Amino acid sequence: MTTVSDAATSASATASDGPEADAAERTLRHGKVRAAMAENGLDAVLAYGPGWRRENVRYFADARVTGSSSFVLFPASGEVAAFSTRRSDLPELRRRGWVDSADTLDVWDPAPLTDRLRDLRPRRIGVAHYELLPAMLAEALRTALPGTEFVSATSLLDGVRMVKSDWELARMRRSAAVCAAGWDAFVDVLEPGLPEYRIVAEVEARIKELGAEDNFMLIASGKDEVRGMTAPTPRVLQAGDMVRTELTPQMDGYWLQICRSAVVGKPSEGQYRSFDLFNEAVEAGMAAVRPGVTAHDVAKAQNDVFRAHGYGEYCTSQYTRVRGHGHGLHLDETPIIEGNETVLPENAVFIIHPNTFTPLAGYHVLGDPVRVTADGCEVLISTERKLFHSEKGVSA
Amino acid sequence: MKRGLVVLDPAEVPADEWQARTAAVQADLAAQGVDVALVYGDVFASDDIAHLTNLCIYWNEGMLAVPASGETVFLTKLSPRVHPWMRRISTVERIESGRSFGALVTKLLGERPAGTVGLADAARWPAAIVDEVRAALPGWQVRELPGLVGDRRAVVSEHELALLRTGAEVVGRAAHEACGAGLTPFARTAAVERIVRGAGFLDVQTNTTRAPDGVVGVQVTGQYRTGWLHAARLADAEDSAWAGTLRAALDAAVDAARAGATGETLAEAAAPALAKLPEGTDAQVRWVNQTDLASAGEYRRRAASDPLPAGAVVAVTVDVLFAAGDYAALADTVLVTEGGARNLTGTHEEAAK
Repeated sequence: MTTVSDAATSASATASDGPEADAAERTLRHGKVRAAMAENGLDAVLAYGPGWRRENVRYFADARVTGSSSFVLFPASGEVAAFSTRRSDLPELRRRGWVDSADTLDVWDPAPLTDRLRDLRPRRIGVAHYELLPAMLAEALRTALPGTEFVSATSLLDGVRMVKSDWELARMRRSAAVCAAGWDAFVDVLEPGLPEYRIVAEVEARIKELGAEDNFMLIASGKDEVRGMTAPTPRVLQAGDMVRTELTPQMDGYWLQICRSAVVGKPSEGQYRSFDLFNEAVEAGMAAVRPGVTAHDVAKAQNDVFRAHGYGEYCTSQYTRVRGHGHGLHLDETPIIEGNETVLPENAVFIIHPNTFTPLAGYHVLGDPVRVTADGCEVLISTERKLFHSEKGVSA
Repeated sequence: MKRGLVVLDPAEVPADEWQARTAAVQADLAAQGVDVALVYGDVFASDDIAHLTNLCIYWNEGMLAVPASGETVFLTKLSPRVHPWMRRISTVERIESGRSFGALVTKLLGERPAGTVGLADAARWPAAIVDEVRAALPGWQVRELPGLVGDRRAVVSEHELALLRTGAEVVGRAAHEACGAGLTPFARTAAVERIVRGAGFLDVQTNTTRAPDGVVGVQVTGQYRTGWLHAARLADAEDSAWAGTLRAALDAAVDAARAGATGETLAEAAAPALAKLPEGTDAQVRWVNQTDLASAGEYRRRAASDPLPAGAVVAVTVDVLFAAGDYAALADTVLVTEGGARNLTGTHEEAAK
């Protein structure tokens, strides 16, 4: 069964606010991570956050970190320590209080981190985002702890983070409200003569006013020739263009995405037919969701709609294969794609988006984020799924 | 997050300048006996690649292969779907996509006789990718090439300077506007976004911080084309004595930022003002070349005695951690000359004076 978030659901989320709720969430996380560590024989987890993948640092610290490199050292027992290359991060790390200490780190001389690790005398350490650890830091760790085995804990943390608590869902509902506002801003500014990058500027301003920390956004404008989305270009909108976007604000650490397309002026028959096809695929994806479903199942349900209508080739790697992706502290978690047998348990959150090119109207973008419920899914955003259009500046 | 405008405009940077940048690296490789250099970048930091090609890695990771002679090739984990856009906004003709850099490197170089491959600034690469490249090229010598591209970017060209001046005016104006009286932190950030992205920037990062006496810190870092600008200001600071002291410290540091000056020189110049800050404050003075602003200079191994080069554009920052745990910063981006610093982001404050 598919349900849609409403004001009542969102309002109930406020019960997940406050110091007591924070403390309970922190305890829950520590328990989940320590259970996984025990299963994997880890004496400590070291969450590494390069500039573009800070989700695991955030999971432990619940603080917005801006350093080029940051860490949280989480031992099997004892104090949790955070490190960042940027000293302006320290006040926030300390204020939130999820870690017991916060210090600056020099990537060329990370002694505060390596000394602390050595004191733990660990036999086996799991490093989340080990695959992204810069060589100078990897070398420093190996040199400081020659007898210690370092393994990747990236999958371990991905697994721990997949099921969202009520505390997390409350934050994701705030992201959902910002998604809706961002999309409203997007449609509001559309008119012939406006360059793509100015659309982005207005949307960014609107969602930042609402407290978004960051946003990932791709865009494309044009007609049937559009094959995909990119960063914005100087191209100016023309009447008849379909303007596509995926808009992904981050609130309180949590990312959520809305995918929509809007036409400048009156939509064409092809654009309407395209919308109907993509909407049917989104609905098929939603209908497939229930606890225990796999990412493959959700992708296949969407692709089967394209195949049934004779557009199956547009679901292949020659065009776009990804049919959505997980959401949370990272914007692009497990991919919804045929062949990915990852199980999506209750309270996993992901977007269903069959975005791809077809000859009907070029690249079409449509999708909603959903939560897996006990008997289906809950659509997290309130924005209607329809082919939007703007008459601003377009002669009748 | 890079989601702004990417433009390749020959009126801004002519084709021969792009060619000369690559040619200079290739001459360096030939002189060092390196057959091909690999330059790594990701969505967070890819400015060496951008300097040679204008490519923007707006998501995921990429690697530019620069042979000692011949065409450069961009290797990326991004889908081939974005190749047309990447060709449109860059000087690169050949782009190869794949799931792993090991496979991409094997495909590119595996057929050639074993030689020497250089990894530009390998210490900053993910160690796993360094290992992948080594494994992909059995028989090849793998050499680290620190500063291969980055060092060349330290002093800007005339065209780069023109773009930096344009960008600096915008960043300075945005920081100034964001310090309007009584705005919420969110409204300050929104003001920056509207101005900076509306002016066609590729990237902007805004940070607001709490400081004593109800003062709010606003730090703005923006990327315009391939260059970076930074300015930090204080809002609601009229009644704060320490804010005036910090301003005096920044002014002194900027005045000292002439060619040949060092970080120590700047710190000494600012010291008399900083001595007047409240007890228990931890103040720092530093400069970061605009080429390193993507990572705020945190990956640059720089000694306090390194001199400022004439013709460099650098951000000079004075920042403070207060005993109570608050943070504040003031910063401007300046052009370093033999005769002194030219403040590029401070024009609005100058006008206000």
